[in-house]
Amino acid sequence: MGGMKMFKKILIANRGEIAVRVIRACREMGISPVAVYSDADRAGLHVALADEAVAIGPAPAAESYLDMDRIVRAVRDSGAEAVHPGYGFLAENAAFARRLEKEGIVFIGPRSEALELVGDKVRARQTMEKAGIPIIPGMKSVPADAGEYIKAARALGFPVIVKASAGGGGKGMRIVTEEKDLGPALEAGRREAKSAFGDESVYLERYIEEPRHVEFQVLADNAGRTVHLFERECSIQRRHQKIVEETPSPALDDALRLKMGETAVKAMRAAGYNNAGTVEFLLDKDRNFYFLEVNARLQVEHPVTELVTGVDLVRQQILIAAGEPLALTQDNLRQRGHAVECRIYAEDPAANFLPSPGRILFLREPKGPGVRLDSGIYGGWDVPIYYDPILAKLVVWAENRDLACRRMAAALDGYAVLGIHTTIDFLKDVIRHPEFRAGRTNTAFIPKYFDGWTRPPSEEGELSLALAAAAIDEMGRRTQGGPRAKEETAGPWQTLGRWRIGGAD
Amino acid sequence: MEFEFLVDGVTKKVAVEEKNGVFHIKQGDVEFEADVHRISDNELTLIVGGRSHEVLIARDKDREIVFVGGREYVLREPGEAAGRSWTDDHKGPGGGLKIKAPMPGKVIKVLVAEGEAVRKNQTLVIVEAMKMENEIKSSLDGSVKKIHVAEGELVDPERLLLELEAK
Repeated sequence: MGGMKMFKKILIANRGEIAVRVIRACREMGISPVAVYSDADRAGLHVALADEAVAIGPAPAAESYLDMDRIVRAVRDSGAEAVHPGYGFLAENAAFARRLEKEGIVFIGPRSEALELVGDKVRARQTMEKAGIPIIPGMKSVPADAGEYIKAARALGFPVIVKASAGGGGKGMRIVTEEKDLGPALEAGRREAKSAFGDESVYLERYIEEPRHVEFQVLADNAGRTVHLFERECSIQRRHQKIVEETPSPALDDALRLKMGETAVKAMRAAGYNNAGTVEFLLDKDRNFYFLEVNARLQVEHPVTELVTGVDLVRQQILIAAGEPLALTQDNLRQRGHAVECRIYAEDPAANFLPSPGRILFLREPKGPGVRLDSGIYGGWDVPIYYDPILAKLVVWAENRDLACRRMAAALDGYAVLGIHTTIDFLKDVIRHPEFRAGRTNTAFIPKYFDGWTRPPSEEGELSLALAAAAIDEMGRRTQGGPRAKEETAGPWQTLGRWRIGGAD
Repeated sequence: MEFEFLVDGVTKKVAVEEKNGVFHIKQGDVEFEADVHRISDNELTLIVGGRSHEVLIARDKDREIVFVGGREYVLREPGEAAGRSWTDDHKGPGGGLKIKAPMPGKVIKVLVAEGEAVRKNQTLVIVEAMKMENEIKSSLDGSVKKIHVAEGELVDPERLLLELEAK
């Protein structure tokens, strides 16, 4: 570390587990972390752990975490020199990066020009194609003549996918397997695109069937020194959102890894990218890979990369933002062992992943060798309704994939978040699924094997134990008095008195 | 002492007697003895026939959650109306039909008016939580009898949103 330019204070413009993660990195570097919080987050864990905490407005994110004026004011008031945006909220907002640049505040992320370029999907696609990066074959522009679509579809080969130019979030997308369905699909796609984006332009791309989602982590310093930290396999998704990630990918061998890694570095150089970023690829059944997009931020799933490479990515982000030259070289980076991450969301997987905010009545977190938990929750905390449902990330490392899966399964078994629904039970079944264990993962995995998933039925022996424990617990409360008697009168469980006891009535 | 708990809509009876620090449990046809150690208000360990079990217990106003063997069991009071879930009412047969919030959230749209005719699967209200919009749909052909919420209102789960009447 040069020392001279290192920040003394960093403001973290985020909440939840990622704010906690960045706070930890700051502490280790001797930097004072400043938290921000909305009215709904006064009780947030990140507020408790920071050195300073600044209130930034009402609960809705648009009036707090997304409000640039309020964030900038919090930076000024606290005297922070840099802002870490985490992921989501303002993390990939080029206007925010530009605003900070103008105000003389360091944005811990890419420079605004790079952010702007990779944020525009069409421009990014053009830039990558020019740089010789493989992109998904498709139309280069929106045609004036409807006949062009049929011509293009025949040239690409069915199935093709209709995509909205203004694109995103699956809106306007239609998969077409036969020529006769193309007309209606174009119409439906245009209608949906029009209502979602106010722009009915659609184009065609070849549809990649059951692809894997493989991404490469890249670090680049401000002088353009660029390395990749290998891949993450993120094919296990529900509603186009990742839920399990791992590295290395079971689909790559050394030759393909080398080729994709070099391509990722080339892509980031073409975009003039600096700081931490991720190049997403689709990998088809024949092991062809295509550039999908750049995620210009620290990814949710960054810990799996940290565990196999031994590199602290948040620390690297901060060093790069402070102007330090990248000390890592490609030759010195290695993948060691295997890491798996499971995302713990406040959702009910048995009810189509319906959000499940509310009070965490009791929390038991897993521990053990090779177990890392990036968590933003505590027992007694009310999970607010306003934000992303991610609660925590359970990450394990082991010598190989099989051992990592076993370690994850055991860690999930020891994880109890009582009071709200979470994805824990669902993830236990995913991790133990034979197809997952065999490494045959692709983006169709959840819809294919877990459609209509429900919790396993009660097991009679265990239910007897649960009932016995509840009865013994209750008996203890009624007969022993002491500190528990106090809770009985003050606590919410006083309704117990209505339970029939000893057959007295 | 005898206790009754409602589990998945079924009443379960448990009888417990303590003798010299050992608990005798009778639950249905099952009888066993347990050596019990309490770690905290929320944590117990039971040794039953040499097998050790850790049990976590969390208490809420209308339910108790017991975690054992990596699985949660939700116990409620017998005869308690709160034990019925939103779906019970939702699926209920015709007549005045109560539509409740499936989750805590914010009502962002009320798409119908009182007295308005509605069709099955028509979206009535949109409740948003955690960046996800949840469309609350009509389960039948009928009309809107009464609306109980306004746009912008925060709702708890089970909160009555509106009442329908079958055709």
